[in-house]
Amino acid sequence: MLELKNLYFTVPESEENSGGSRNIIDGINFTFDDGKFYAITGPNGSGKTSLAKLIMGINPVSKGSIIYDGVDISALTITERAGAGIAYSFQQPARFKGITFRDLLMIATGIDDENKILNILKRVGICPLSFLDKEVDAKLSGGEIKKIELATTIAANPKLAIYDEPDTGIDLWTIGPMVSLLKKELAESKATTIVVSHNRSFLEAADIVIIINSGRIAYSGNLEGAMPLLDDLSVCTYRDSCEGDSDAGCYR
Amino acid sequence: MLDAIDKTLLKTVADLEELPKGAYNIRKNGKLLSRHVSANINIETNADETGIIVKIKPGTKNESVHIPVILSQAGLYDVVYNSFIIGDDAEVTIVAGCGIHCGTSDPEGHAGIHEFKVGKKAKVTYVEKHYASGDGKGRRTLNPTTKVFLAEGAQANMELTQIAGVDEANRVNEAVLGPDSLLLITERVLTDGDQTAVSTNNIVLSGSGSRANMISRSVMKGNSKQTFYATMDAQNKCFGHIECDAIIMDNGTNETMPSLKAGHPDAELTHEASIGKIANDQLTKLMSLGLTYDQAVNRIIQGFLK
Ligand SMILES: Nc1ncnc2c1ncn2[C@@H]1O[C@H](COP(=O)(O)OP(=O)(O)O)[C@@H](O)[C@H]1O
Ligand SMILES: [Mg+2]
Repeated sequence: MLELKNLYFTVPESEENSGGSRNIIDGINFTFDDGKFYAITGPNGSGKTSLAKLIMGINPVSKGSIIYDGVDISALTITERAGAGIAYSFQQPARFKGITFRDLLMIATGIDDENKILNILKRVGICPLSFLDKEVDAKLSGGEIKKIELATTIAANPKLAIYDEPDTGIDLWTIGPMVSLLKKELAESKATTIVVSHNRSFLEAADIVIIINSGRIAYSGNLEGAMPLLDDLSVCTYRDSCEGDSDAGCYR
Repeated sequence: MLDAIDKTLLKTVADLEELPKGAYNIRKNGKLLSRHVSANINIETNADETGIIVKIKPGTKNESVHIPVILSQAGLYDVVYNSFIIGDDAEVTIVAGCGIHCGTSDPEGHAGIHEFKVGKKAKVTYVEKHYASGDGKGRRTLNPTTKVFLAEGAQANMELTQIAGVDEANRVNEAVLGPDSLLLITERVLTDGDQTAVSTNNIVLSGSGSRANMISRSVMKGNSKQTFYATMDAQNKCFGHIECDAIIMDNGTNETMPSLKAGHPDAELTHEASIGKIANDQLTKLMSLGLTYDQAVNRIIQGFLK
């Protein structure tokens, strides 16, 4: 169980010398139950990634606390949270020089046995074998690196997995298999699964939909109940000018 | 014949546990220690006895030559002039390397001037590692020079590595590329403490259809300093690329000066250069996979210099 208690992430105001501050995450209280599938959605810049990074320990908690399995983890390092079974799949994954997908899988799992690595690849399905010895560098397409990111997160066998917009840059026909994969993993491992996405397939797959707006939880519940508010917020604010969900090229 | 220090140096610079198979020439403290030639590869001392001439017969396939140099004699500065004549259509791997063990406060150094004449359609892979060890305070200097001449359709793949312990390095790489030839240079240099390393590269793309790619990866730890110069001089329809990345750790410093000269309207030249600390997103990614901060740093550097 993951409890967010009166959680804040505050940064200094960008206008110089104003001395003010801005609450990116503005007092969130929420409890994630074990083994459930959550979808987090909300407008661009509403704080979805900031919240995920607070949970992973990449953003420091400004106020409030994060309780995981009954322990306050607010002050733990990223490494310690990873050790406690939390995993985060980045919205914009890091690119390396000289580190391959295989290397990342080995780091995530500690496994270097070829057959076991191949089994992991089979399990995550969405990554072709040819990715294995590819360097995770600037040459990968946006979709390729997102698949690798998702696969390494699954391979780590987390108890709590957060996927930040896993569908960005992914071809439309991979989204279905990606949703099924996360559902299958959840069914088998009972890992709490949190997906940040605007994609209807993820919202429909979720047990609970959470809408974040201006750093606060504006709604949590089933998808049907979320619809009016989603329309209201017209979640993607560039909807008029962009081509739609596939390869929209934006960083929501 | 090989003592324990020799063996570790050989293992590090040439991946050799014992004497290698195939042709080899091992030089220790300025003198020939051991030599072996093969049916296709001849090694002889040059006329003025300042180095060796390695001749590879045309059409030789899948053979290798090892020419490591080891230094463990205080106060010695060893200079060698080696030439490699690679016959047409031959395919060969040359493993060079210099290991210095410095046990005293006297300086030790080595300068290897290596000249390659690569015949038509021949392919050479040249692997060179530089490494110094020992508790002595003596300065360890390595000043390697490579000069490469590629005939029509020839290919050279040069992997140049300076692993650790070298106080001062001044490297010069020169190459002249004939028609349709291909040159790949990958240079990896790690410096620490007060070490300095300068690398100067002059690549002349003289033949039509020639291609060159120069990749440089530098890591500066401690107060060390590295300077990198690379010039691609395009005199014909050709393609050239320089990619130099430097990672600064601690208080290391770096100067990188890629330079492109197009003397022909169909020349295509590009370069990418970056200098900076290890990217934060790389560190957080590896930490989120369970590594500690220090482990993540090491893993990123290891990959970068791989
Ligand atoms: N470390 C930070 N410092 C200052 N501003 C930040 C920081 N992190 C995020 N922000 C800002 O907070 C807002 C929310 O960002 P983010 O969480 O990435 O939104 P979302 O993922 O919902 O699109 C944005 O306006 C962003 O620019
Ligand atoms: Mg985001």
